[in-house]
Amino acid sequence: MTGGGLENRGDAQELEKAPTRIDGDPEERVLRVLRDRFPGSASDTARVRPGLVRAHIKREDLYDACRLLRDALGFEHMSMISAVDYPDRFEVVYHISSYQNNLTLELIAQTPKDDPVIDSVSDIWGGANWQEREAYDLMGITFKDHPKLERILMLKDTLYHPLRKDFRG
Amino acid sequence: MWINMGPQHPMTHGLWNLRVKVDGETIVDAEPEVGYLHRGIEKICENRTYPQVIPITDRLCYGSSMSWSHLYCRTIEDLMGLEVPERAQYIRVVVLEMQRLASHLMWLAAYAVDLGMMAGFIYSMRDREVFVDLLQNLSGSRLTYNYPRIGGVAHDIPPGWDKEALRACDYTEQRLREYEDLYEGSKIFMMRNEGVGILRRDDAMNLGVTGPPMRASGAKYDLRKDRPYEAYADMDFEVCSRTEGDCFARYRVRMDEMWESCRIIRQAIQNMPKGKWRVVAPRNAPEGTGMARVEDPRGEGMMYAVGDGSDRPYRLKIRSPIFVTVSAAPKFLVGYKIADVVAIMGGLDMCIGENDR
Repeated sequence: MTGGGLENRGDAQELEKAPTRIDGDPEERVLRVLRDRFPGSASDTARVRPGLVRAHIKREDLYDACRLLRDALGFEHMSMISAVDYPDRFEVVYHISSYQNNLTLELIAQTPKDDPVIDSVSDIWGGANWQEREAYDLMGITFKDHPKLERILMLKDTLYHPLRKDFRG
Repeated sequence: MWINMGPQHPMTHGLWNLRVKVDGETIVDAEPEVGYLHRGIEKICENRTYPQVIPITDRLCYGSSMSWSHLYCRTIEDLMGLEVPERAQYIRVVVLEMQRLASHLMWLAAYAVDLGMMAGFIYSMRDREVFVDLLQNLSGSRLTYNYPRIGGVAHDIPPGWDKEALRACDYTEQRLREYEDLYEGSKIFMMRNEGVGILRRDDAMNLGVTGPPMRASGAKYDLRKDRPYEAYADMDFEVCSRTEGDCFARYRVRMDEMWESCRIIRQAIQNMPKGKWRVVAPRNAPEGTGMARVEDPRGEGMMYAVGDGSDRPYRLKIRSPIFVTVSAAPKFLVGYKIADVVAIMGGLDMCIGENDR
């Protein structure tokens, strides 16, 4: 993740882009778009509480869904990526926020225990870069096409992934 | 040529390493290295009961421990479905804003000494003591308070404490005026800040930069206003933001936030309702997930908890605002001189405790 070079010194005011604001009920709209565009893949869509909606998605469609969320639905900010080790599966939970619509989406993708691989979204949101590295480091999820998938908190020659439930220190 | 700034360098408050690639004196690439302070807090939390985790989350950030234990309590309240009594919500607002003032004053002290202004360090640290003393009178310890509880706060405020808090606000506002003269009247301070480390609004959004650095880039979002938690919905305050996106704007945003914090503390103390300050929380959490996000002094703090029906969290994920902000360091640094590194990275308010967890 190299910086943008000397063009960094831009004028902050001229860069105010027109935001993707959703009129009406953004929560319902986001869930409907996900269901329509990814039938059979987006499931268990729910409104958890005001400002928080939840959806499950198959891992094959994760990258396309994230691109759609950023470009068409105004989700400009990847807040948090959590990996959870359940007895029968790994879950990668993406909390994606849209400040302009005042909405957070909890997008959940699952991977099997013996194949913890999922697409990287770090070229969509730069903020995902280190969080994916952290999930790889501590939980052992491999993010495909990540620019630099290396350990970040543990030492480079560590042999285990400490947050897995079968890890015994 | 790659230069290592750290792990032992006066700029690295805490222990981390910033590798910068230079061409002459101009920075062409940068790469932060973190992890020196990794204590495995997320793993430790899986082996403790829910109340036992509170003092551990205090240790996430030595600069603002109250906001982290509060965030943890909110997450577990969401998981358990608890409602916090109104008085506890007001007490939480007071202590959170005091913590924000103490944290910003400590940042101001560290920033002053980064830029070679020893007087600013001494003054800010002295005035931070006012709030540290108040929180010590309240909770019994100076840095790691262990004061919020799942379902409220540990105990009511002691008699006379609210008067002391109001007096502390008056004192701080008077001092803040002096700081503004001291810092902004210094030509060296202004030259090292203005036009240095510019971050655009789009980059701030895309790279996940939150808190004062994001608001200094022209994005006027504050979770206390946009998605109010506790009693913030009843408070009258402004969201502080600037459009320049440079180091001076980040300094200004934090100074303005301190003024607003004093306003919030006054309102919360004057309108504090009577009643209970704690409800009893169940021992076990149900199966399910809980999530909370708050406006930490350094940005957007988030936690995600998974409960499995037992008395211990199955998984607790902590989102540290500084971890994501520092990953954007190349965007801040590239194109500037190596002498600007200290001002730029100092202006982000690094806290390695929460960064490495």
